Amino acid sequence: MTTVPVALTRRGMRPLLSARARRLLVGYAYLVPAALCLIGTVVVPIGMAIHMSLYNDVLYKPRDYHFIWLGNYARLAQDPVFWLTLWNSVVWVFGSVGFQFVAGFAAALVLHESFVGRSLARTVILLPWVIPGVVVGLLWEWLYQPNYGVINDILIRLDLLHDRVAWLSNPDLAMPAVVFTNVWRGIPFFAIMLLAGLQAIPGELYEAARVDGAGVLARFWHITLPLLRPIIVVATATRIIWTFNYADLIFVMTNGGPANATQITSTYTLLQAYSNLDFGYAAALSVVLLVVLLVFTAVFLRVTRGVEEVG
Amino acid sequence: MNDRWLLSRRKLLHTLVGTGVIAAGDLGWWEAPFIAPRKAWAAQPVRFQWSVPEPTRIALMNSLVERFNQSQKDFEVRIEYVPQAQARQKLISSISSGSPPDLCQAWDNWIGQFHGMGAVEDITDRVKAWKHQADVQPTAWQTVTIGNQIVSLPLSLTLDAIFYRTDRLKELGLKEPTPDWTWDEFLKIAQAFTKADKNQYGYGMRGAGTWAVLYPSEFAYANGAQVLKDGKVVINSKEAIDAVAWYMDLALKHKVTPPSAATDGFVEIVETFGRGVTSMYQHNSGSVGQQKKNVGADKFATIPVPVGPAKKRATFYFSETLTAFKGGRNKEGAWQFMSFMLEDEPSFMYCKTLGLLPARKSIISRPEFAKDPALSGFVESFPFAIVSPYLAYPGWGGKIDSDGVPLIQQAILGKISAKECLDRFADVLRKEMT
Repeated sequence: MTTVPVALTRRGMRPLLSARARRLLVGYAYLVPAALCLIGTVVVPIGMAIHMSLYNDVLYKPRDYHFIWLGNYARLAQDPVFWLTLWNSVVWVFGSVGFQFVAGFAAALVLHESFVGRSLARTVILLPWVIPGVVVGLLWEWLYQPNYGVINDILIRLDLLHDRVAWLSNPDLAMPAVVFTNVWRGIPFFAIMLLAGLQAIPGELYEAARVDGAGVLARFWHITLPLLRPIIVVATATRIIWTFNYADLIFVMTNGGPANATQITSTYTLLQAYSNLDFGYAAALSVVLLVVLLVFTAVFLRVTRGVEEVG
Repeated sequence: MNDRWLLSRRKLLHTLVGTGVIAAGDLGWWEAPFIAPRKAWAAQPVRFQWSVPEPTRIALMNSLVERFNQSQKDFEVRIEYVPQAQARQKLISSISSGSPPDLCQAWDNWIGQFHGMGAVEDITDRVKAWKHQADVQPTAWQTVTIGNQIVSLPLSLTLDAIFYRTDRLKELGLKEPTPDWTWDEFLKIAQAFTKADKNQYGYGMRGAGTWAVLYPSEFAYANGAQVLKDGKVVINSKEAIDAVAWYMDLALKHKVTPPSAATDGFVEIVETFGRGVTSMYQHNSGSVGQQKKNVGADKFATIPVPVGPAKKRATFYFSETLTAFKGGRNKEGAWQFMSFMLEDEPSFMYCKTLGLLPARKSIISRPEFAKDPALSGFVESFPFAIVSPYLAYPGWGGKIDSDGVPLIQQAILGKISAKECLDRFADVLRKEMT
């Protein structure tokens, strides 16, 4: 019988995996719980929605449940209300986010300056963001009320209006009115994000630029804006995606009316799912909305590629 | 000493854990304070979804449930309050996920869809053996019968009438309308009430929600139109188009409605009347109590909808129901509570407090209902009330909201004619006749 020295055996055995592979595996093992959560809460529901969108799935017609290939998508392509809601979504999203960004940026620049009561102003500006969306909707619906709302009352007292304006009942005014409300609510988001970015810009850069004779606009254009770009890109992209899916305000204030003037794709999806119980069609609408957002995000990230690394 | 009687530490722990498990299982359903008198050892919970939680209704329902829970020892009803706007969605979600409540409060226009989903419990046999079956108004049974199955108990009935300001009529020196008033009289009074410069309008037209479609439909019936005739959709008949055109002219031509009519829902039409902006509106008896507080019981009255050119009129019955689900775990408990709610005192208390009309004949004939001037318009409407024709197909309820309301809104705004509105609406209904 041959005896092998222990030290020799240990030295001679090759581990199954290399040290690098083991490190990698351990790293991935740490990610497994988070990945499982993501798969369970994001990937599986998306897969189920895609699956559902391929079926005629009207809840109160269980006997008609069957596979219809792309039937829901074909129906959607011919549905004029869907195209209207898609256009309304674009107006809603870019109208809201555009003005939120401009006003939020202005607010951030003001709040970055030193003045008496700055801390109070920074707290107060957060208020619209702190109030729940449904409450904001109810509050503004009340303000816009043509017969006893405050807005009409003030405008009439100031002699700026003669007849009461039905802000939310006029198809030409309803969308601007809900967009305005959303802008009011979203300004603090941009203001706080951009204020944080402004505070991170070293003061020396401005001093050096001032010594070199740069004016206010030049300093803004050549220092502030480039250094804030990473935050602007991330905040804008996030906000656009949120707003696309944000149905609370419209749902509360107009319920998509009058005559679908404020119907956006997400409220239309809700209507199809819970009024008509047409879950197949609602799922198709959700999938299309997902594709639109994916395409938008890809294009947006491509256009702004590298920008987030500037800082 | 015998070792068998010695309690080892392991046995002691086992005993304690076992006792704890039994206590936890026992107390799990017990929401009362620990030292409160126990209701029953084995009282089975009954999950009851209840919508429209506003203070009066919550207090009322709490009180009724408490009475039921104290009246017997086998069941304990637990209320799950849900805002009305989310009630239907929540029920659909819970049915789809296989965990519906045992019982819910639902409007009869939801029940068709739930029945189509195969979710509603057939209570026909229980109803046949129920002591109050014959006392419930036959029309009420119609609203909760699908095919040959009775699927709900009608808790209260609603039908529409016109609310009007009696004090303003006196101020204007106008004659009180009689119950058989006509469209022309209705229009004249609406015009007299309208003073746009003072922010006063004659009629609070409804443009949002299901009833934005139902109210003009009722006017269409007054002109001899129907929604369904011999199994065919005829809501775009000439009579219906003429009636809806006349109705839309209240906003477009005569301008007797507030500028917000196209999006005014339940809250707005009730609120504008309560604040004196409008002097008439169409609604069911559910807002009587609110107007007694807002306007004052002596300053308004109700009257049936006016008679149309065809010398006809109709108002649609709806019922607020108690509905049990097939997937519920406590069907006996659900039935016991449903039938308790239609007993004399619970039914009287419920309807009287909320200004609703009881489904039972012996209760509605009590003077509190039959002689209340604020309810007279509704009581006088019974002879020509019909079950809503939109209950005919389960898919119609949803289509009214998704397609009918936007069409009516376009018509109120003058974007489309009454004919185009009804032609398109008829097409929508025809596609859902399954």
